[in-house]
Amino acid sequence: MPRLRPSLFWRARREISPMAAKLLPACRDLESAANELRWIREYVRDTKSPIPDELRVWQLAEKRGRGIPLQYVLGTQPFGDIEIKCRPGVLIPRPETEAYTLHLASLLSQSSPPPTSLSILDLCTGTGCIPLLLLHSLLIPLRAPTPIFLHGVDISPAAIRLARANLTHNTPALNRFPHASSSSCPYNLTFSQFDIFSPSLITHLQHFLNPQIHTPTPTGTGTGTQDQNTEPPTKIPDLLVSNPPYISPRDFNSATARAVRNHEPRLALVPQQQEGLSPIHRYRHDRYNCRPEDVFYARILEIASVLKPKRVLVEVGGWEQALRVVRLVLENSTAATSRNNDGGHKSQEEYNLVEVWRDEPSAGDKGERVEVAGREVVVQGEGRGRAVYLSRV
Amino acid sequence: MLAAPWVCRSCARSLRHASIFQFVRRASTETPVRLPPALLERARRLTAEHDQLTSTLEKDFDAKKAKRAGEISRIADALRQFEKAKAALSELHGLLESDDAEMRELARDDLEATNAQLVESSHNLSAALTPKHPFADMPCLLEIRPGPGGTEGRFFADTLFHMYKAYCSNKGYRTRVVQYEASDSDGQTGSEGEIALQEAVLEVQEPGAYAIFRGEAGMHRVQRVPATEAKGRTHTSAVAVWVLPSFPENGTSESEADWENPESDFYIDPTEVRSETMRARGAGGQHVNKTESAIRLTHIPTGTTVSMQDSRSQQRNREYAWRLLRSRIAQQRREAREEMARQMRSSVLANSQITRGDKIRTYQYQQDRCTDHRSGLDAHNLPDVLRGGETLGKIMDSVQTWLINKDIEALISEEEASAAVASREKGK
Repeated sequence: MPRLRPSLFWRARREISPMAAKLLPACRDLESAANELRWIREYVRDTKSPIPDELRVWQLAEKRGRGIPLQYVLGTQPFGDIEIKCRPGVLIPRPETEAYTLHLASLLSQSSPPPTSLSILDLCTGTGCIPLLLLHSLLIPLRAPTPIFLHGVDISPAAIRLARANLTHNTPALNRFPHASSSSCPYNLTFSQFDIFSPSLITHLQHFLNPQIHTPTPTGTGTGTQDQNTEPPTKIPDLLVSNPPYISPRDFNSATARAVRNHEPRLALVPQQQEGLSPIHRYRHDRYNCRPEDVFYARILEIASVLKPKRVLVEVGGWEQALRVVRLVLENSTAATSRNNDGGHKSQEEYNLVEVWRDEPSAGDKGERVEVAGREVVVQGEGRGRAVYLSRV
Repeated sequence: MLAAPWVCRSCARSLRHASIFQFVRRASTETPVRLPPALLERARRLTAEHDQLTSTLEKDFDAKKAKRAGEISRIADALRQFEKAKAALSELHGLLESDDAEMRELARDDLEATNAQLVESSHNLSAALTPKHPFADMPCLLEIRPGPGGTEGRFFADTLFHMYKAYCSNKGYRTRVVQYEASDSDGQTGSEGEIALQEAVLEVQEPGAYAIFRGEAGMHRVQRVPATEAKGRTHTSAVAVWVLPSFPENGTSESEADWENPESDFYIDPTEVRSETMRARGAGGQHVNKTESAIRLTHIPTGTTVSMQDSRSQQRNREYAWRLLRSRIAQQRREAREEMARQMRSSVLANSQITRGDKIRTYQYQQDRCTDHRSGLDAHNLPDVLRGGETLGKIMDSVQTWLINKDIEALISEEEASAAVASREKGK
């Protein structure tokens, strides 16, 4: 990080305020220091406290100046049209996530024929921002009352507590829509704490999708792929979305911003490396032989191959990772095809749409194509590679 | 010849241009009683249309026809009144020639009142004939920006912002602060605690606010001794106020307010707009955590840019930026059309139009005076003006009257010009 020139502090003190100079080490430039100071003042003005306002501004500016993310200092982050609460220990929602979630919501609501009911699964939900924003954005355009079922899973108890708090926090905003509160259009958003590598996760998710069917808990080593043939045909989720940890330990030390490295949970950023303790290492070595930062994708694709969701979207860390995930998808499905062909069944694995989305997917198809494993893949939007989108519809 | 033996070049230049910088006092003059035959002809035509429409409406109702009839009904009413006054006048003239001395006396007494009535009704008629401004029914955005030079102008910009806000709350108009950006947020403050404003946008959500505030657009000049001035000298600075139409929040079916309609002034092709966000350096996503939510929209064909960074939510910034861009483009299109129409008219009116570069009003603190240069009204209760009280309302009303008179003049000269063209063609 380059050193800030003393004249910058001097200018901040003179042109904006001594508080702004306090913010400079975290903000790095005058304009964002002025903006953040204004937001801190707005927050102080809008919340009540026995402590005098100026003192609170000073305290918050002090905290922010030490490098703590503004979202933790103020406790919230606007995400689309809703507000998400943020607490230390849970990843802060990012604007890129916001962009593709909104685009995803518009895809879902414009799909033809219009869906009669929607079920959405979110793995590694964190603050619960993705299902909440999807729900909020889907309630507006769906004129006909459509039941929406959403379920978020995260390994961290703190994240699940926060996600539930966020649901209560946004319930007034959700019930503002006239048909949302009526009984004809029930929406149901739930969260549960689960390690997505645990073998019982798939049964748990199937139980969520089909609450009326009693699914026995698998015994012993029952994993997803084995369950596949024994389970009765189940309801298919419309969307499986995930923003898993995807930073390699090496990138964590070099490519992340200081505020992220020092204040945000490593659990949400870097796939855990405690080999032997978690079934995680099987994905690295035995089954897929993928890089440490890609293990979550291997597991998510495995879950997808059992639940067969109509659409899958996973966030990725950049262009190379996007291509690696696409390769994983294509190799996985060709392997499954050949396996199934041996058994004489027609393949159901193939996704008929595989896309890479950039930071701003709403910018649309600019005619960009990339060839991965002998297949042409559409690239949507502009910016950096941000998500991989798979669709069976 | 100059009395001085030698004048330096810059002084000579300033002497030469002296007349340009003088204010044009565009004091309103009473419009003459003359109603050109072309205008009268048009009024008769529209009244005939109105009568026909009302008779068809009695038989079967049609919303579109009813709307049109409502629009031109005031012209029909005004014409009826005008003709009544004219008939009364001719009757009086007849009575003046009667043999009865007492009758003549009575007629002479009435003559003055009837004449005044005629003047008034002819004025009403021409006012009714002037086309309503297409944005008149809309809410508006007031953009306030200090002119070049010094913090004094910025302080006064803040004063103006509070003046309009107070005026709206006195009148009961709903307002919303879209943007309120200070340059030095708590460095210095003015004598009354105003902050140095860089740019402010106030939305007046009242339908018809555009018509109310239309006359406020232009340069507002202030003359006072600033708080920062040690030697007690009077400074002059200027603040620009722009008035833009804004579309109502819940979409109405009116064609002007509907921005989805390609015919509307508000329509912008999304492919013609470049949208830029502050993108974090490096890998983005989980790697960084940025708080910049600024967004900049550029309308490529006109080069108009709008940037918005007030809110923490990028979504909200984008929404407001789009609204502001739409309003600006609509105003530009309207101005371009007006400019074209003006060029087609006679050159008599060339300097009666106000553009945003002209100084329209002066706030003189020492003399406790606020002067509007167009209507020529002097108001002598400056504190009340700045509180947005009744005095400001009086000034704004006088500007409204002035604007209407200008519109009438424009209409008359337009009708005369078209009549002249028509007669010339007939001559050929």
